[in-house]
Amino acid sequence: MSYDLVGVILFAVLAIGIVGAGIGVVLLDRITASALLMAFTFLNVAGMFVLLGAETIAAFQVLIYVGAITVLILYGVMFTPQRERAYALFFQTQWPWAALVVAPLGIGVALVGLSFRDRATAVPAGGDLDALATSIFRDFAFPFEVASVLLLAAMIGAIVLVRRDD
Amino acid sequence: MAVPLGAFIAVSAVLFSIGIAGVLVRRNAVVILMCVELMLNAANLALVAFSRRGGFPDERGSVFVVFVFVVAASEVAVGLAIVLSAYRNRPTVDVDEIHAMKG
Amino acid sequence: MPEGPFGLDPAIWAVVRLVIALALLVVVVLNGALSQVYIERKVQAFIQNRYGPIHTGPWGLLQTVADAVKLLGKEDIRARLTDRWFFLSAPGIVFSPMLASWVVIPFAPGLVGADLNIGLLYLATLGSMTVLGIVIAGWASNNKYSLIGGLRSGGQLISYEVPQILSLVTVAMLVGSLSMVDIVDAQPGWQLTVFILPLAFLTYFIAGLAETNRNPFDLPEAESELVAGFLTEYSGMRYAVFFMAEYGEVSVVSAIVATLWFGGWHGPFVDTAGPLLGPVLGVLWFTLKTYAFVLVFMWIRATLPRFRIDQLMALCWKLLIPATLTNLLVTAVLLLAFPGSLLPVAIANWIMLGLFVLAIPLFQRRRLASLRARLRAAA
Repeated sequence: MSYDLVGVILFAVLAIGIVGAGIGVVLLDRITASALLMAFTFLNVAGMFVLLGAETIAAFQVLIYVGAITVLILYGVMFTPQRERAYALFFQTQWPWAALVVAPLGIGVALVGLSFRDRATAVPAGGDLDALATSIFRDFAFPFEVASVLLLAAMIGAIVLVRRDD
Repeated sequence: MAVPLGAFIAVSAVLFSIGIAGVLVRRNAVVILMCVELMLNAANLALVAFSRRGGFPDERGSVFVVFVFVVAASEVAVGLAIVLSAYRNRPTVDVDEIHAMKG
Repeated sequence: MPEGPFGLDPAIWAVVRLVIALALLVVVVLNGALSQVYIERKVQAFIQNRYGPIHTGPWGLLQTVADAVKLLGKEDIRARLTDRWFFLSAPGIVFSPMLASWVVIPFAPGLVGADLNIGLLYLATLGSMTVLGIVIAGWASNNKYSLIGGLRSGGQLISYEVPQILSLVTVAMLVGSLSMVDIVDAQPGWQLTVFILPLAFLTYFIAGLAETNRNPFDLPEAESELVAGFLTEYSGMRYAVFFMAEYGEVSVVSAIVATLWFGGWHGPFVDTAGPLLGPVLGVLWFTLKTYAFVLVFMWIRATLPRFRIDQLMALCWKLLIPATLTNLLVTAVLLLAFPGSLLPVAIANWIMLGLFVLAIPLFQRRRLASLRARLRAAA
């Protein structure tokens, strides 16, 4: 048994988890189950990042997506009514057209993607932390500062939008 | 046998298609937000996978993932705020019924 | 063919090692929860001038074992109107991050599950996953008390994550690494981080109290107002899992404090005791330091009253976050301005600690004055 084989098995498990949970998010009627499956998808994508040798990105992924975004979305689920409805009203009216567009697109892009034969498991020695930090704070320092302004703007915007005028 | 780069890209493409399908077919605004997050995640996966291409890792792909995280966090905060304020005006989160340009 | 320890194939040894580590972890965590419950009851009893458990076993030692057996034997109840998926998954979501935290904590020289170079980030990540489980538990129970407890907890944990992570960042800056092993190696002898960064220690400890939902921050399960908060609908083994997760979190926070600020396994005779006895002594020192902070947690629980929710949020956003941000800025500037010397950083940090402690009464007086003004305006 070699480590390569372990990598392939892990990849298969994670891929099945991602695709299965993603389909579940779209098709399940219970919004709570959708939210949980979304968090599960995020965790599996984090696992993919670890397979690719990007453990810092994986940690950020769990910290931001599972710890913050899923919790926010759960708050959204709690604050809006989720009553049971007839299954006919579950999808929007244009769902056949959407399926017609999406299915060839997805299959096409996946086929193009499969044509890349390079090894993807070139794990950098000593982790990706140093290289990532150097890149962000040296080459991308200005975009990084702009991103913090974006976060501030989003925070203020969200507060203004949901504030009640007493 | 190692996992080729194309396999990661294919998973990313499938996840992205699932996200598009969810945005196009579901009526619930909160579920649409979730599907947008799935699409962003698929993009992240593709970015990281391509930054590992050809045996010499280049972290600039991962830097873009960090920026996508920032954008995703802002997007979900503002998106939920919009859903909540729309719900306050008309008690529904059904996107087919939210079609007025003003409250 | 390369050979691992005991002449095993490395691939097989990796699996065997994983099984051994998991078994050890489960034993340590479960026993830790059991012994902590006993210690907590005894400490509370000592402070409140009573005996605590004395009947089951010598000095009441078997009381927690009896409680655990009772919880194991209870019927597994799930109310009909609860949300099945959320209700069943919540205990696992709360428990597993706590278990996974132990992987990066170094117990002794060379004795660490995995020396990740993102160790601190990993710990912060796992800490943030607990929120999800608690919010889910509160909502799934379909009970007003649970919902309020879960929502309070969500707000509290997300808010206190900010000062917590900012305090961790200060230490990471000083050491220049996120790896827990590097952080321990940077504090030999008396060069403990707590002498250099005392304010970060204080803010981390306060935020850690809030992260673990302990007194005086135990609003999510405030029994006098919310029955048991998000735990109300849980019983039997599911309740026990939440309980173990809480005590495990207390140990994890104490272990992080002991590792980051008090030198981890460093202690007298560890380096000189030889290859076999040294690690044993290291584990001993580490455990002693960790449990010292667990005792402080219990002492605080017996001493301080509970905060109100607005006081809790005001403390975090108006006092802790500005303090940690200032601390981060000053430390960063001084580290860059005086490379090679830690004395300026230490002096500045002690001054900031003094200012922080002096600021608390002033802050309280201003808050009280504004509250009185509002009451007068209302009346």
